[in-house]
Amino acid sequence: MKTEDLIRALAADTVRGPDLRTTLLLGLLPALAIAVLAVWLALGFRADLGTALLTPVSAARIVLTMLLGVIASRLALTLARPEGAQTARLWPLAAIAVIALGLLAWAYSTTPPEARQMATVGKTMTTCLVTIPLLSILPVGVLHYTLRHGAPTAPLRAGFVAGLAGSGLSAAIYALHCTEDSPLFYVTWYGLAIAGVTLVSTLISARSLRW
Amino acid sequence: MADQVDAWGQLLAAANAGDARAYARFLQGVTPVLRGIVRAKAGGLGDAECEDVLQEVLLAVHLKRHTWDSDAPVRPWLYAITRYKVVDAFRARGRKIDVPIEDFAEVLAADAGTDPTEAADMDKMIGMLDGRSAQIVRKIGLEGSSVAETGQALTMSEGAVRVALHRALKTLAVLRERHVK
Repeated sequence: MKTEDLIRALAADTVRGPDLRTTLLLGLLPALAIAVLAVWLALGFRADLGTALLTPVSAARIVLTMLLGVIASRLALTLARPEGAQTARLWPLAAIAVIALGLLAWAYSTTPPEARQMATVGKTMTTCLVTIPLLSILPVGVLHYTLRHGAPTAPLRAGFVAGLAGSGLSAAIYALHCTEDSPLFYVTWYGLAIAGVTLVSTLISARSLRW
Repeated sequence: MADQVDAWGQLLAAANAGDARAYARFLQGVTPVLRGIVRAKAGGLGDAECEDVLQEVLLAVHLKRHTWDSDAPVRPWLYAITRYKVVDAFRARGRKIDVPIEDFAEVLAADAGTDPTEAADMDKMIGMLDGRSAQIVRKIGLEGSSVAETGQALTMSEGAVRVALHRALKTLAVLRERHVK
């Protein structure tokens, strides 16, 4: 087949996929709504949610995970475009990690030594480590779907930010239930859950995001 | 050069808004330049093989055209796809090449290839499609039939032909990927 023949066939094909932003929003918003609903129905929101949101150290985990989720989602959208690998800047993600670690260090120094272990282990470590990855499945799936619909030229990086985005948003939603307010707990275990999801997402993307 | 690139952006924007003629002109406009890039990077591949790679690139540009943000310049978008596909295609042919994106500027200034050569790979892929899809691609591509004429010949509605054509092109890209592995 000559190239001009191929061009004729391509030009006749007027079916065009929806743009990436639309694809992402149409998938992600319902996915997050389902996650909120699941937390509300299965675990329930914490009773003192209003007060917690006004307490900086408790609200910080929602703010940080939301920020992580939103920034990483935007990066995923950038990396879904072929030229995005050249323009995507990942340092804001590192900045969030630094702030979280700073919070951890601050909590460590202000918590009395005998209370540190209890604050770190908490009472709901297992629930946290199971729930956040479970809640992440749908949002991360939507992000991967969007990336596949796109044209990522840096698949590993794309899978990495997709994992951070989905698990960050899911962690923010889980925080509506979770009553563990010490950064010793949430930086450690939310962080571990997010890291686990991100690792899996990155590993999958090496194969699944080829096009 | 700048004029040409601006024209590409306008053509692709019009194409994405549904103007098939603008789209054909866009593809015809970028093809010699992309051919020049592929040949410049090919190092030892014959012209026919280069044409195979070029067709792969064009198919990818086509299937991913919704990933172009019409506020962004076309050139970085187009070259990023080209680079990705060229590296992929050459790797599949057992060659490791490095394609720095900056190099493209020089290639563009240099003589862009002409002389369309018959490429073989796409025919093989079309042969692997189901009968009806292959017929549609051949009728429109090789025989130059319109969608309407193809529909009449195959007693299909125009809409059905369009959907079938789109599916066929997507399948070609997937077959390509598998064949290459």
